[in-house]
Amino acid sequence: MSRGRLTAFLRGFWYALMLFLYAPLLVVVVFSFNSINSSARFAGFSLDWYKRLFANDVIMQALWNTAVLATVSTLIAVVIGGMLGYGFYRYRLGRLSWLVWLIYLPVIMPDIVFGIAEMTFFVLINQWLGILAPGLGTMIIAHVTFQVPFVALLVNARLLALDPSLFEAAQDLYASPWQRLSAFLLPTLRPAIAASFLLALTLSIDDFVISFFTAGPESTTLPIYIWSAIRKGVTPEINAIATLMIATVFLIAMLSMLGGRRRRTSDT
Amino acid sequence: MPKLARDTQHLLLTVTPGVLCILVFLVLPSLYLMGMAFLTNGPYGLPTLPLSLQAFRELAGFGFLGWSPGNLYTLLRSVWQTLLATLIVTLIAYPAAYYISTRPARWRALMLLAVVVPSWTNQVIRSVGWMNILAPGTPLADFAARLGFIEPQMGLFPSQFAVIIGLVYNFLPFMVLPLYAAFEKLDMAQVEAARDLFASPLSAFRHAVFPQTLPGLMAGVVLVAIPAFGMYVVTELLGGGRSMMIGNLVARQFAQASNWPLGAAGALIMIAVTLIGLKVLRNLGRRLGGDREVVL
Amino acid sequence: MSEPAPPMQQRARSASSIGIDQVSRRFAADAVALDDVSLDIQPGEFFTLLGPSGCGKTTLLRLLAGLDQPDSGLIHIGGRSMQGVPPHRRSVNTVFQSYALFPHRNVRENIRFGLEMQRLSAAEISRRIERTAALIGIDKLLERGIDQLSGGQRQRVALARALVNEPDVLLLDEPLSALDAGLRGRLQIELRRLQRQLGMTFVFVTHDQEEAMVMSDRIAVLNHGRLAQIGTPQAIYEKPADEFVARFMGHENLLPIKKSDATGIETPIGRFSGDFAEGAYLLLPPQSLILHRLDQPAAPDCIEAVVDECLYRGGMTEYRLSCSDWPLVATLANQGRPGPAAGDRVRLEVVTRAAAVLQAEGDG
Repeated sequence: MSRGRLTAFLRGFWYALMLFLYAPLLVVVVFSFNSINSSARFAGFSLDWYKRLFANDVIMQALWNTAVLATVSTLIAVVIGGMLGYGFYRYRLGRLSWLVWLIYLPVIMPDIVFGIAEMTFFVLINQWLGILAPGLGTMIIAHVTFQVPFVALLVNARLLALDPSLFEAAQDLYASPWQRLSAFLLPTLRPAIAASFLLALTLSIDDFVISFFTAGPESTTLPIYIWSAIRKGVTPEINAIATLMIATVFLIAMLSMLGGRRRRTSDT
Repeated sequence: MPKLARDTQHLLLTVTPGVLCILVFLVLPSLYLMGMAFLTNGPYGLPTLPLSLQAFRELAGFGFLGWSPGNLYTLLRSVWQTLLATLIVTLIAYPAAYYISTRPARWRALMLLAVVVPSWTNQVIRSVGWMNILAPGTPLADFAARLGFIEPQMGLFPSQFAVIIGLVYNFLPFMVLPLYAAFEKLDMAQVEAARDLFASPLSAFRHAVFPQTLPGLMAGVVLVAIPAFGMYVVTELLGGGRSMMIGNLVARQFAQASNWPLGAAGALIMIAVTLIGLKVLRNLGRRLGGDREVVL
Repeated sequence: MSEPAPPMQQRARSASSIGIDQVSRRFAADAVALDDVSLDIQPGEFFTLLGPSGCGKTTLLRLLAGLDQPDSGLIHIGGRSMQGVPPHRRSVNTVFQSYALFPHRNVRENIRFGLEMQRLSAAEISRRIERTAALIGIDKLLERGIDQLSGGQRQRVALARALVNEPDVLLLDEPLSALDAGLRGRLQIELRRLQRQLGMTFVFVTHDQEEAMVMSDRIAVLNHGRLAQIGTPQAIYEKPADEFVARFMGHENLLPIKKSDATGIETPIGRFSGDFAEGAYLLLPPQSLILHRLDQPAAPDCIEAVVDECLYRGGMTEYRLSCSDWPLVATLANQGRPGPAAGDRVRLEVVTRAAAVLQAEGDG
C-alpha cells in the first residue's frame, strides 16, 4: 500500500472510530430531548423529561449524593494520596519497603471483588461495633480507598521526574520546612495535583460497582438509580439523567484541556 | 541522631493515612473475603463455622442435584470473552495509535483526549448508550433483522455480540494510550536501517516497528484484559445468561442467591486467575521483548 | 552601557573563613566517603576541591552547605560551629551541578526565592536583584521562563540566585561541567574575575585538573575520601605529593626508582646522578625533556629514544617516545622549523632540576 493510500485509509478508520466512540453518547443525549417515550424513534424536541427530572425528589437526592460522593472522596483522596506519593518518594522506607506494593493492590483488583469485599467488611463491622452502616459514609471510604493509589502513583511519578537537587536548593536558599512546603513543593507539584484531582474525580464518576455494593438505602446515586430503573427498559428520563452526567464529564475534559494548554504556554 | 528521628516522624506523618486507608479498607476486607470462602453457608446466606471446602465444591458444580457444568462454563466463557475483546481492542487500537502519532503535535493531545473522554463517563451510562442503539426497532436492529441475524422485532441485546461490543467500548482507550506512547518514541532510524538493509515494508514492520511497540502492547493487554475479566456491568446490562461472566456469578451469590461462601470462593478464583494472567503476560513480555522494559 | 556595579556589602573577613577539623562521613558500613579530612580555607580565597568521581569532594561540599551531617569531626564557618545548623540557617549558598532552578518560577522569581524566604523588604529585594543581575549580566533575562534559557544562561541564573543572598561562602558543585568547551573557558575567566571583585570565599568542586589550576588560589586533591595534597596549583602540579596526585594532574612520565644511593638514582631508562630525595618514583614533567637530533652535538647525560608518534597541538607538539622500551611524553614549543618525525631516533636531554621524586600512592 502506498503512503498516500495508507494515510487515507487511516483517516477513514479514525472517523469510524470516532463514530463508534461517540454514537452511544450522542444517542443518549438526542433521545433525552425526545417528545415521546421511545429510544428508537425521535418524534420531536422537548424538555419535558428534564422538567420531570428536576421535579423528582428521589432523583434530586441522587444527584446531590452523586456530587457529594465525587467531590468529597476526591478531595480526601488527593490529600491522602498526595502525602503517600510524597512520603514514598522522600523518605527511605528500609524494612517497610513492601508497603509500596500496597499501592498496586487496588489497581489490579477487579472492582467487583473490591466492592464485595468492602460490603461484607462493612456488614461485619456494623454487626460488631454498630458503626459504618451502609450509606454515603461507607461509599466515600470505599471510593477514597481506590482513588488513593492512583493519586499516589501520579504524584510519585511527577516527583521522580524532578531534579532531586531542587529540594536541596530550597533548603540552601533559606527556606524553613514550612516555607519549603508552601513556596516550593506545592507550587512545583501544582500540575500533578490538578491532574490527580481530575483523575480521582473521573475514577469516582466512572465507578458504579463499588458504589452499588457499599451504598445504603438512603444513599442512592444517579448511576444506581439508573441501574434499578433500567430493568423496565431505557426511557427518555434515564437518557436525561445520563445526559447530565455526560455533560459533567465533558466539562471536566474541557477543564483538563485548558489546564494542559496553560501549562504548555507557560512552558514556552 | 535527631535527623533520623525527624525523618521517621515525617515519613510516618505523610505515609500513615494512606497506608492505613489501604490496610484497613482494602487488605483487611480482602482477607476477610478470602477467609469466608472456607466457611460454611449458614442461614440467610451468611457464612458460619465450621471451616470447609464446601464452597469450592459448589463452585466446581457439585450441588445437591449432582454435577452441573454451569459454573465451569462461566469461568471458561469469562476467559474466552476477555481474550476475544482484547484481540479486537488491539486490532482497533494499533492503527488508531499509529495514526495519532503521525498527526501534527498540536493535534495529538486533542485526539488522545477524544479517545479517552467516553471512558470517563459512568460505566452504566456507556452501556445505556449501547442499549439505546441495539434496542428493538432501532435502525441497527432492523438492519440486522433484515439480514437474518436476529428475529424481526427483536433487539441486538441481550447477546454475546452486545457484551463484546460493550467490553471493546469500555477498554479501547487503555490500549490506545500505551500503544501511542510506544509509537511516539518509535525510532524511525531503525525502520530506515531495515529498509536500507533490503527489508520489505512488511518485514520492516515485523523487525523494526513491532518489537519497538511491544512494551506498549503488553502494557495495553494488561490494562484491558484484567478489568475485562472482572467485568460486571456490561454483562449484566447487555448480556443474558449465555454471556454471563464470573463477576456476575460472584455478585449473584451476594445479592439474589445469598450464598456468601460460594461468592467468596468465586472471588478467590477471580483473584487467582488475575494474578496468573499477570504473571503469564509478564513472562510473555520478557520473552518477546528480550531486554526491553515492560510495564508491570 | 550599565554603570559598574557597586561592590557588595563589605563583610568581616573572619566571617568567611572555613575550618574543617577531622571530618569523617560514612554512608554504608564499608563505604567511606570522607576519612579524617582536616583543612582550613582562608577568607576571600578561591579554593578548589579536586578529585575523581567518588573521591568525596561533593560530600564535603554538602557538609559545608549543611545538606548532610558529618559522622565525626567539626566544621566551623566564620569561627562558628556548624554542628546541627540546618542549611537554611547557614550564610552559605550553593550553585548546584544541575543548577536546580525552580521550574515553576521565572528567572526573577528564581533569584528572589532566597530573599523571600528571609523575608526581606520588597524594596531591598528588587534593589539586590537589579544589582546582582547587572553584575552577572542577566538583566535582560529576568522575565524569561527557565526553559527558555540556554545552558550558559541557566548557569548564570543559578550563580545569581546564590550570590544575591550575599553569603559568607559560595559553594560551586561542578558548575561548568554541563557546558561546551568554549563557553566553559569563558565562564572560568568570568567566575574568577567575579570572585576577585567580590572578595568572597568560593569553594569550587571539579574533577577537571586544568580547570582547577586555571581558577584556584589553592587546591585540595582528594582520593578515596582522604586528603591527598593541599597547595597552590603550581605546587601541586610541579611537586605532587604522591603517584596518585601526579597521575591525576596529568603526568605520564613516572619512572619507578630501582635503586638509590648518595650519588644518584637508577631508573628503567638509565641512571641519573645528583642529590635526590627518598621516594618510589622519579617524575619527569613534559617540559623537563628536551629532544636533540642525533647529528646535533650531544649534551652530557643524554639518552637515546625513538619517536613513536607526533601529536601536533598548534602552539606545541607532543612527542610520544620509547626509551629502553619505556614510554615517555615530551612537549616542545613549535618554533617554525620541522621537528623530529615519527620513527626518528633522537637524543633525550633530561633537565633534572625540573624533575621531582615522589611517594607511592597513599604513602604521602
